[in-house]
Amino acid sequence: MSIKRILIANRGEIAVRIMKSARKMGIESVAIRTAVEPSALYLSYADVVFDNTDDESEIPVFLDIDKLINIALKTGCDAVHPGYGFLAENAYFADKCIDNKIEFIGPSPDAIYKMGNKTIARKIALSNNIPMAMGSQGNISNEEEAVKIASKIGYPVIIKAASGGGGRGMRIVRKPEDMEKMFIIASKEAEKAFNDPSVFIEKYIENPKHIEFQILGDKKGNIIHLGERECSIQRKHQKLLEEAPSSALDEKLREEMGSMAVKIAGAVGYYSAGTVEFLLDSYRKYYFMEMNTRIQVEHPVTEEITGIDLIEQQIRIANGEELRIKQKDVRIKGWAIECRINAEDVQAGFAPDPGKIEKLSMPDDDYVRVDTGVTAGSAIVSSYDSMIAKLIVKGSDRRDALKKCKLALDKVWVKGVKTTLPFFRMLIRHPKFTGGNFTTSFIEKDLDQFYYNSEYEEMLAAWLATKLFIEENLTDESIKPDFSHSREIDPWLLNKRISQF
Amino acid sequence: MGNEKAKIRKLYAVSSGNRKYVFSNPLRDNIRIGNRKYDIKLKQDDKFGTYILWKNRKYPVEVVRSRQNRYEILFNDISYVFTIETPFGYRRMKVLSRQKGRKEKELVRSPMPGKIVDVLAREGSQVLKGEPVVILEAMKMQNEIQSPVNGTVTKISAKPGVIVNKDDVLVEIKVEA
Repeated sequence: MSIKRILIANRGEIAVRIMKSARKMGIESVAIRTAVEPSALYLSYADVVFDNTDDESEIPVFLDIDKLINIALKTGCDAVHPGYGFLAENAYFADKCIDNKIEFIGPSPDAIYKMGNKTIARKIALSNNIPMAMGSQGNISNEEEAVKIASKIGYPVIIKAASGGGGRGMRIVRKPEDMEKMFIIASKEAEKAFNDPSVFIEKYIENPKHIEFQILGDKKGNIIHLGERECSIQRKHQKLLEEAPSSALDEKLREEMGSMAVKIAGAVGYYSAGTVEFLLDSYRKYYFMEMNTRIQVEHPVTEEITGIDLIEQQIRIANGEELRIKQKDVRIKGWAIECRINAEDVQAGFAPDPGKIEKLSMPDDDYVRVDTGVTAGSAIVSSYDSMIAKLIVKGSDRRDALKKCKLALDKVWVKGVKTTLPFFRMLIRHPKFTGGNFTTSFIEKDLDQFYYNSEYEEMLAAWLATKLFIEENLTDESIKPDFSHSREIDPWLLNKRISQF
Repeated sequence: MGNEKAKIRKLYAVSSGNRKYVFSNPLRDNIRIGNRKYDIKLKQDDKFGTYILWKNRKYPVEVVRSRQNRYEILFNDISYVFTIETPFGYRRMKVLSRQKGRKEKELVRSPMPGKIVDVLAREGSQVLKGEPVVILEAMKMQNEIQSPVNGTVTKISAKPGVIVNKDDVLVEIKVEA
């Protein structure tokens, strides 16, 4: 192994995840301490911590290419892992790493560029006969052109950012009157998020399932797929729950879509781990959507059902090793579900709820895997994403996985911030979800309540409110017989209460 | 005063959804459901913080805020808002709520802390329910803040580029009659 030390150009749970695999392989990790999170959990997994707390720059270090290269060189790293988000899909960063003789743990800059630019990716897919939704030939420059093309394709259409991903710069348009407004919003959002206002238009597939294939390729040109993940449970294009495999695919369709995914990856000479995303409509027709040239948040569900450590594979591939796994060796066993437990207020339209995590306790059953970057006392800061932990549950089949997921969700304990837990507790009981009968519009269309509470929970909350009212207003201090009730209340709870006045 | 307090034998916890729960004063540490009584215990320890123990299960609880007789309780990750009323106060509340008319003015507030990216509404312009009035960026996402009603925009407090807190008023709308 020539890679000896990796700079982790990321934070949070993915930084922890990468360092765990690196350590297992006998490779050292360098993590970066930032002023925003000087005592973050991921730092404790590193062999070397680079202190960047005196950095007063406005841009986070994880987005600062020159600084990262400098840190890598200074700390003697021979490789960089970008994780996901930040610079993970930045071709220029990958290129800079190579220029400085640092291995970029990911695909080639060329593959990142081609797949990152959605209009180029569409052209590549088209020339390789990959099924795709009808759309504009290239980018669209103004709203008049948008209206013209949309009327040719037929409404509804979706406007997408050419350099996009993660749902930003994306808008669905159902009637020509809305086009101007939506075009401007999408374009502005794209410019803000990706520094590129260009957008294109595609036919909007109504009520599809989101099916994506995990790809692994080496530098010798071998490419395999590790089956699919279903990520249809999403809100505003942000995934909330993912599972593998998908109940919508049979062996024949899996093989067909998998080989399409391998084909498009091959068209850009892809190596490392990547994901090819498809939409699957109600007639079981599939359409290529995009390829993500990085490790994904939801990669653990694939790891759980294939037994393959994707981060380890990424490192081996970066190191020039040939894939030892052949397509015929890939065996899918069992069913895995991942719930993204985020600091979000489900009752307030999933608004982020940053703050300090006062208490955190996760189930330790052997069917549960928890990927997290926080612990009790950590803060969810508003400068980064709102993820607390990924709860990954494995069962023998979907039914078993759902049953275990329900149990595990009741064992997760988070205090200090509101979380998406009540959403998952509702979801896991919803007949459409348990029946596999759901699409990407499930949250928008099929739900009238976004959370679950059992019959007596409101009554118990009312009891507590009444108890506090009595203690604050109706208890005469002089005749109060004992003090035990007040001692039972967390002093922090009292503090929080008082600070609201 | 002590005497008056002692006279209160009953309290009502009225939820924001207008459900009414009746408790005795002094408060009992159990609740009867059907023929059985179940103990409720408010406890705390280092691992779990404050919690309620009910039917052998722990439920996390927090008091989010309280003001006078209004309590926002976080119970098992879900917020509930109650007003606690004495029997007299409860009767008065019911009379008042009957007298209260329809809202004339709607304040569109920021649902989360963030930065205003764009203000789509114009003073004096008509808006429809669901129409985006402000674009707010929070946690890497651009969010459309929509008008909750049909009406006329009377005042715009939101300015592009400005950082706002949760619950800051962004736009005022005169509700269409």
